[in-house]
Amino acid sequence: MRDELGIYLTLVVASIRARMEYKASFLFLFLALLVYYLAQVGVIVIVLTKFGSISGWTLGEMAFLYGLMVFSQGVTTVLFGSLNDFEGQIISGGFDRLLVRPLSPLMQILASGFEISTVAHFFIGTTALYFGSKSSGVEWTLLKALYLPVVIGGAVLIQGGLRLGVAAVCFWTIRNRSLVHMLVYSSKEMIFYPISIYHWGMQLFLTIAFPLAFINYYPSHYFLSRGGAQLLFHPYIQYLTPLVGVVVFALAYMLWRLGISKYQSAGN
Amino acid sequence: MNDDVLIRCQDLRREFTVAEGRAGLLGSIKSLFSTKSSVIRAVDDVSFDIRAGEFVGYVGENGAGKSTTIKMLTGILTPTGGRAVVNGTVPYLERVKNAFNIGVVFGQRSQLWWDLPVADSLDLLRAIYRVPPARYRQNLAELSKWLELGPLMKMPVRKLSLGQRMRADLAASLLHGPKVMFLDEPTIGLDIIAKDNVRRFLKKINKEQGVTIILTTHDMDDIEALCDRIIIIDKGKIAWDGATNRLKSQHMNGKILEVEFHDYNPDISGAIGLTEMKTEANKKWLRYQGDGGAALNDVISALFRDYCVKDLSIHEPKVGDVVKAIYEHGVDHMEAADHG
Repeated sequence: MRDELGIYLTLVVASIRARMEYKASFLFLFLALLVYYLAQVGVIVIVLTKFGSISGWTLGEMAFLYGLMVFSQGVTTVLFGSLNDFEGQIISGGFDRLLVRPLSPLMQILASGFEISTVAHFFIGTTALYFGSKSSGVEWTLLKALYLPVVIGGAVLIQGGLRLGVAAVCFWTIRNRSLVHMLVYSSKEMIFYPISIYHWGMQLFLTIAFPLAFINYYPSHYFLSRGGAQLLFHPYIQYLTPLVGVVVFALAYMLWRLGISKYQSAGN
Repeated sequence: MNDDVLIRCQDLRREFTVAEGRAGLLGSIKSLFSTKSSVIRAVDDVSFDIRAGEFVGYVGENGAGKSTTIKMLTGILTPTGGRAVVNGTVPYLERVKNAFNIGVVFGQRSQLWWDLPVADSLDLLRAIYRVPPARYRQNLAELSKWLELGPLMKMPVRKLSLGQRMRADLAASLLHGPKVMFLDEPTIGLDIIAKDNVRRFLKKINKEQGVTIILTTHDMDDIEALCDRIIIIDKGKIAWDGATNRLKSQHMNGKILEVEFHDYNPDISGAIGLTEMKTEANKKWLRYQGDGGAALNDVISALFRDYCVKDLSIHEPKVGDVVKAIYEHGVDHMEAADHG
């Protein structure tokens, strides 16, 4: 296991070096991401300055909510970014190549697409978390400071599990591009805003069936000390992000393993 | 199992489920809603043993099942039925363990890192295969000498020619000292000199290092130059399995005469001991059977005497001709033709 981690890191370094062969492309991607996220922030700011608050959430609280999402998404993209293009590996047969090596194919895939242009995420995410907690007067206790990385870890597992599950679908369908767009890229727009703005059915959906609300909405209640008045469930739910993360990722990994055993391999 | 047997396939079978497409727009809409599918048996109860040190050519037409067999032996695919063992390991059950024992070269799919120098790719493989540093240095020095990798080591893989890349790929697949090597079309697209280099190298590691090699290729010259044994697979079943020499002696006795005539192409059905194979402008390819009939020099003198021959050359029949005949008519037909 320690052995494998060492190999993973070696492969990650190689992947970064390979990418650095194309410095211009790296720079453009970084700038594009920065502009994209700044535009998103702009929209939220405009809406809030007009209405003061959304569903009882102030600008500062919204910034915290947004920061948690973008930061954890940044970590997810660094670690799991290459899964979004898994379709290509199945179509080209490149996945065969990974299967004949003495290393978990998942590890090889993750290491090969280590995405560093996501520093844009970290920049935006950290800024939003900082201003959010400052302007909504979060009192940072030691416990809160220690719990923040744990929550981010759980949020990363939820998003990573989602990407892994969507990638595993390729073992049956070969192509999954539209699913990636729908479930990975677009779905996060549902959690820009506190989910309390939605109908209760939708809130239920984002909690149980497609648990994106655990990425930022529920844990924000804890950090912002919002109390449970707005919640459909028992207030304990605000602590469940790490657990949900582990469950989602485990389910996705089981689907992935099942998929590999059903793998048909493209003809030559 | 016999100690000597390195690879054993027993009634190996692989089926694929293929969704049935329907013709036309209406058909494709209908097939969206129906789950009609058919089962194709790509490998149909294939059995063979390969002993340590053999150099086997595994040949067949596109879709005959050769890649599918190789994919089961390398752990990529799980068989639908039967069993395979490679060096004491069941590849699809113990994929990682099997991977340490085998080297795999896909001619069209490099395993090197496209944007990194060759040396870096080899170093990454050293890490993946956990090759101890001392052994790595020794293996690399040897492979580098044989494959003349020196000048390539610092070049990014994307800048290599196809021949250079194949040399680097061969080194990459052998760094960890595998006992078995699977090669899929290793000479595809290479020029004559590069092809020759690859062949000489493969022969060397088979003879000197005792690496067992299974080669799939469409290039019958590869097979003829390298393989001691040929297994022909046709429609998922083994059509022929035996020593290359036996294939030659059973099906390729005699010679092929390539004759060019002076500005006409005569009817030679009267000539003794020759059967016409092919005719083209004022050239003919004739097969000389030579079993108990007229001697070759008599047949040739007769040709020169009776016809206006401009040029004549004598060839050995090629393995490819025989293999093609087996694809087309099956082995029974071949034997009937020979003994009949």
